[in-house]
Amino acid sequence: MVSNSNINNVKTKTIGEIFSKDPKIICRNVDVFYGEKQAIKDVSIDIASREIISFIGPSGCGKSTFLRCLNRMNDTIDTCKVKGSISLDKEDIYDEKIDVVTLRAKIGMVFQKPNPFPKSIYENVAYGPKIHGLSSSKEELDFIVENSLKDSGLWEEVKDRLQSPGTGLSGGQQQRLCIARAIAVSPEIILMDEPCSALDPIATAKIEELINQLGKNYSIVIVTHSMQQAARISQRTAYFHLGELIEVGETKKIFTMPKDKQTEAYISGRIG
Amino acid sequence: MNEYTLLILLLLISLLWFYFGNKTALSLKNKQLKLNSLPHYYGIYVALYSIIPSLFSYLLILVFDGILFSNLIMEFVPKEILNSPDFNKIIVLAQIDNAVRGIYFGEQPDWVTIASNQMIEWNNQSLILNFFCSISLALGIGYLGFKNIHQEFRSRNSVEKIIISLLGLSSIIAILTTIGIVFSVIFESLRFFAIIPASEFLFGLTWNPQFEGAERAGSGQEGLASYGSVPLFVGTFLISLIALCVSVPIGLFSAVYLSEYANKKERSIFKPLLEILAGIPTVVYGFFAALTVAPLMRNGGSLIGLDVASESALAAGFVMGIMIIPFISSLSDDVINAVPQSLRDAGYGLGSTKNEVITNVIIPAALPGIIASIILAVSRAIGETMIVVMAAGLAANLSFNPLDAVTTVTAQIVTILVGDQEFESAKTLSAFALALTLIVITLILNFYALHVVKKYREQYE
Ligand SMILES: Nc1ncnc2c1ncn2[C@@H]1O[C@H](COP(=O)(O)OP(=O)(O)O)[C@@H](O)[C@H]1O
Ligand SMILES: [Mg+2]
Repeated sequence: MVSNSNINNVKTKTIGEIFSKDPKIICRNVDVFYGEKQAIKDVSIDIASREIISFIGPSGCGKSTFLRCLNRMNDTIDTCKVKGSISLDKEDIYDEKIDVVTLRAKIGMVFQKPNPFPKSIYENVAYGPKIHGLSSSKEELDFIVENSLKDSGLWEEVKDRLQSPGTGLSGGQQQRLCIARAIAVSPEIILMDEPCSALDPIATAKIEELINQLGKNYSIVIVTHSMQQAARISQRTAYFHLGELIEVGETKKIFTMPKDKQTEAYISGRIG
Repeated sequence: MNEYTLLILLLLISLLWFYFGNKTALSLKNKQLKLNSLPHYYGIYVALYSIIPSLFSYLLILVFDGILFSNLIMEFVPKEILNSPDFNKIIVLAQIDNAVRGIYFGEQPDWVTIASNQMIEWNNQSLILNFFCSISLALGIGYLGFKNIHQEFRSRNSVEKIIISLLGLSSIIAILTTIGIVFSVIFESLRFFAIIPASEFLFGLTWNPQFEGAERAGSGQEGLASYGSVPLFVGTFLISLIALCVSVPIGLFSAVYLSEYANKKERSIFKPLLEILAGIPTVVYGFFAALTVAPLMRNGGSLIGLDVASESALAAGFVMGIMIIPFISSLSDDVINAVPQSLRDAGYGLGSTKNEVITNVIIPAALPGIIASIILAVSRAIGETMIVVMAAGLAANLSFNPLDAVTTVTAQIVTILVGDQEFESAKTLSAFALALTLIVITLILNFYALHVVKKYREQYE
């Protein structure tokens, strides 16, 4: 348990409001190292329940690295070390007692490139519920699959070919399939790492609409390199630069009157 | 003065052309002219120009003369030898050839001496002819190439063209050789099927070619030889199956371990060690099977009251399985490594354990490639000979019992063709029929494996 008294009592250089009233995830003084190289420097931030927050910043600034800390995906990289504290519902996720498997079931992830399994559409969505034992019967599983596909806006397009391979869908459909796959395990938070960067504008628009929908039920952390996208879909925006969290705030404010020089430079297109 | 001196001369001439070509190009360059290619390309160009046609004519004359002379020399062989029933052209030619080299066996008939003298004279004439043709080609065509050199001449492009055609020629030779082998096997098999009906060969249940000689000699034992290949294919199948039972789990598990669990250091030790297995000559596996594994199994079997033949399918299959482990592990390791990281990430991101990722994501994704590796290993097992000859025996029993002695197609081909044989007999020709069937089977397996691999590649690209 992270005690309530000191979580909002943290030293930080970040400009803006890092705290939330109803925090789901609380990150304090997080450092990340790849071997000797430090990729994240002293980042503290809260992520609220049912908010959509976007991470922006020039490429290589550590957005993906920080995102992957939140569901401990960095564990799969041998050289990667995480310091500081990150807690989900006030429980330290890097604590030894925490099981990564259940953690990752609570915090779903969608990747940059659509990565459906080379299995059928049905099997792709059913994968998570199966390994976590979320259904006790075939009917229940069918129900979960159907609902997840409906929530991801894919149902109408694929309901007649659930058994055909997921890799046969178009890029945008594949990405929505990946989102369906992620929400099939009923996570509380969804992490998205540039989910539209491999898609065309029409598919992107569909995904953005979907994210807006999902934001009513989940916390969503989305990394994006498109500032328009951040502006369109997120309530809060965090600007990273060279591993540091420079500025956080309401998206509208960040884009109209950034307080920091670097943020302003990035938003006005001078660095990036 | 002989063929080899000529060959060296040709090489020297082309070297000389290289020197001149290079020098001319350099002198052009020294005159501040901008050359199209680097100077040595001009040298190489002229050298290739000189050596290729001259070498070609050299080989042509060498081969063609041999054929021509061996036919012409028959004029010198007396009529009664030519017409005698056991006339054999190869033996007569060898006789003359020996005389040419000055090797005599006892008394020599006059005609051999005359023929060999004639042969020597012809050979000398041919050498002189070869000399003139090749050297004048080397000099003449080399000069033509040399004349081509001027400032704008694109020697690099021409050299590349020549080299590309040489490469193409080599691959055509390789392909033609394969086609030649296949066709010779097909023709000999057709001769076999003219004697023994294909249906008997394909569906007959007894394989017993040993009495062929007796049958032909008309000793009243006709009909004893039988050419039903089913027992051989059953034996092959049985041994390959045992080999797969050993190699598929071990090979696959070690591939999974190597690619998913082993750290860099373990990998750098284990992988080469496994691949050493593939480098051991099969004859070593053979005597390991015959001298170590087979007795071990026999003794072990008798301990638990099983009657294991001293040469058993089990011993041969087991050792063959060990032999093909690296084929499966190495190729499977490659395909497992080729499963994109993004799929693993997807698995982990959904909260799978490492085990679940391996069994639910990686293995299914790599399955086509793994199957292909198994098929390739099977075709290797089917073609394997040494281990079977040494450890499984030669008894063509029709048996599915792994403890029995069985034999395989390849082992039978060896026994048929080792030692004295009459080329025309059904027994000898049956080897070709067996070989043809084997080639067809492995060809189908390989095609299928390639097809599977190709499909698998498309999935990720
Ligand atoms: N697996 C890794 N091993 C070593 N360094 C890495 C690894 N992944 C990322 N980095 C480094 O960490 C820094 C941040 O990378 P990343 O988080 O991918 O940035 P972003 O997503 O903002 O473009 C970069 O300098 C990158 O080179
Ligand atoms: Mg990134």
